[in-house]
Amino acid sequence: MHVEFFGVPRQRAGTSELEVQADTLGHLLGTLAAQIPSLNEIIDSNRLHASFVANLNGGQFVTDPETPLRDDDYVLILSADAGG
Amino acid sequence: MREGNVPFGYHGRYLRIDVSTGRADYVPLSEATLRQYLGGSGLGVKLLLDEGAASMDPLAPEAPLVFAFSPLVGSPLTTSAKFAVVSKSPLTERINDSLASSGFAIAGKGCGCDAIMIVGRAAELSVVIIDDAGVRLESATEHRGKTCREAELALKTRLGPSYRVASIGPAGENRVRYATISHDGRHAGRGGSGAVLGAKNVKAIAVRGTQRVEWAHPKELTELSRSLSKRSFGPATAKYRELGTATNLLTFNRFGALPTRNFQSGTFDQAASISSEEMSTTHTKTRKSCMACTIGCEHIYSKGGKGVRVEYESLFALGSLCGVGDADAVLRASQRCDELGLDTISTGGTIAFAMECVERGWLDQPWLQFGSGEAMFRAIEMIGSREGLGDLLAEGSRRAAQAIGHDSISIAPQVKGLEIPGYEPRALQTMALGFAVGARGADHNRSGAYEVDFSDKVDRRHVTLDAVRHAIETEDKAALMDSMIVCKFLRGVFEDFHEETAEMLRYVTGWDVTAAEMHDIARRIVSAKRQFNLLAGWTPAEDTLPDRFLNTPLPNDPEASLSRERLDGLVAEYHRQRGW
Repeated sequence: MHVEFFGVPRQRAGTSELEVQADTLGHLLGTLAAQIPSLNEIIDSNRLHASFVANLNGGQFVTDPETPLRDDDYVLILSADAGG
Repeated sequence: MREGNVPFGYHGRYLRIDVSTGRADYVPLSEATLRQYLGGSGLGVKLLLDEGAASMDPLAPEAPLVFAFSPLVGSPLTTSAKFAVVSKSPLTERINDSLASSGFAIAGKGCGCDAIMIVGRAAELSVVIIDDAGVRLESATEHRGKTCREAELALKTRLGPSYRVASIGPAGENRVRYATISHDGRHAGRGGSGAVLGAKNVKAIAVRGTQRVEWAHPKELTELSRSLSKRSFGPATAKYRELGTATNLLTFNRFGALPTRNFQSGTFDQAASISSEEMSTTHTKTRKSCMACTIGCEHIYSKGGKGVRVEYESLFALGSLCGVGDADAVLRASQRCDELGLDTISTGGTIAFAMECVERGWLDQPWLQFGSGEAMFRAIEMIGSREGLGDLLAEGSRRAAQAIGHDSISIAPQVKGLEIPGYEPRALQTMALGFAVGARGADHNRSGAYEVDFSDKVDRRHVTLDAVRHAIETEDKAALMDSMIVCKFLRGVFEDFHEETAEMLRYVTGWDVTAAEMHDIARRIVSAKRQFNLLAGWTPAEDTLPDRFLNTPLPNDPEASLSRERLDGLVAEYHRQRGW
């Protein structure tokens, strides 16, 4: 699936988007942490740190590591605090 | 309890200054009042209610304007150097509390008071000076027309560098209904407190005080302060520290939540060109902190000349909302608003509204086109001076719509007269509720309901009544933070917000305050604001959004649709849960 990073996650990832193979949210996050060590600051044991959130296909925000993912999904990773 | 029944952390009195006569009195504040309303917004609203301000014309001489400090000001707690400016708003005719930061809070509280109330109207443009010698008014006529920064620097040169100055710019002098009060580059920005001060013929307040309060448990307070400061360097504040609020722009654009061309769209095709990410590659960026803050959220961009502080709200209001995709034009406009003392959200909102009226043929000002940075800048100058069209736009979008007619009120981007911040209500529907019921109008600082939309608690485009309790929680939390006062950018570092803020208050005041009492205080302050609005003439019909948001889904996102029936249901449930 397609992963897009915003704000601090984008800084840590060093890229705005990439393609990853994973069948659950936890698997995806674990893969990202392994591929990009600087993401370990925001990913802890296949979960996002409480200050960050993941969104599935622009609709629902998801936290459960068992959330199933499909190949054509896209996951957005951003700061939880949207304050301006 | 200190000598004279004054609680630790407080002076137990406020300073009431009548600038018509020059008379200044210290008025006692009871311990019960302080414990019930804390400081900041809460104390300010309480003082306004006691003064009968709700029924007054906010620009009349008798209308009070309160600078309220807090029990935490002067403590080692990070972000505690803050103050609230509270009055009836000339823009909304409802309660208005706006906050700003830095040395004015510390020096003001050092004048031996927990709040400063200004009433009356000076005979000439004046500066109110409060120091260890007392209170006096001096002429400020030579500072007429000076920008906020120029006035602040000139007064510090005249009085001495140890004075801290809060000033208005030309917009406040001209009673633009969304003029700000500025201090150290920050603004008490929303709702027109600068016009209230301008109507009193007061250009600035200069404070220099050295009276300190004592803390009930200084050792524990120091330890807590160290812990909080340490946590403030962690991931919960990384966004503000490393990127600033401006990084919201691309995120919101991706979610279709970036207000564009007066809320005609939730995406802006030139968003990338005005994003902080892009500007970081074309401009030099530096960081700055308010006094006593460990976060350092101010990101200042420059390109050869003097730097401009960039915040998301200014980028959206003077960028996508007006269809302007030229970063330098947006920065120039933002800087000019800071100089004139204009709220960037209301400025951008009112100009964008006028641009759409021109587009629809309702306003004969063909030069005022979406996408033109030059036209936007020209409109800002006209607003600041109230010249030509600026005299109408200085009234805000609601009053301008009433003058323009053509049912333009349905596209005026405001609630209760306050222009809507950078959160598209159809795409963020818990925030839509927060805007609708906000005591000071559409507001992202008194309701943090967008946090709920950016979580798994709701489906942001299809919210149900379950969202209401979450919206209320964020509103209550904001009321506490604005009264304690601590910066909202700290909110992510608390594991148990009410317990931890109760702990702060225990160490500062010695009161046996609990988390449950903090909940009660929050509800009391929210209710006090509602009480003010009721006395000012509020009716339930005000708790809504403009028709635009309730008739039309967002282009390119048909799921982002909010009917009047659904919003009315959310608002009714909100009132029911509040017990109103």
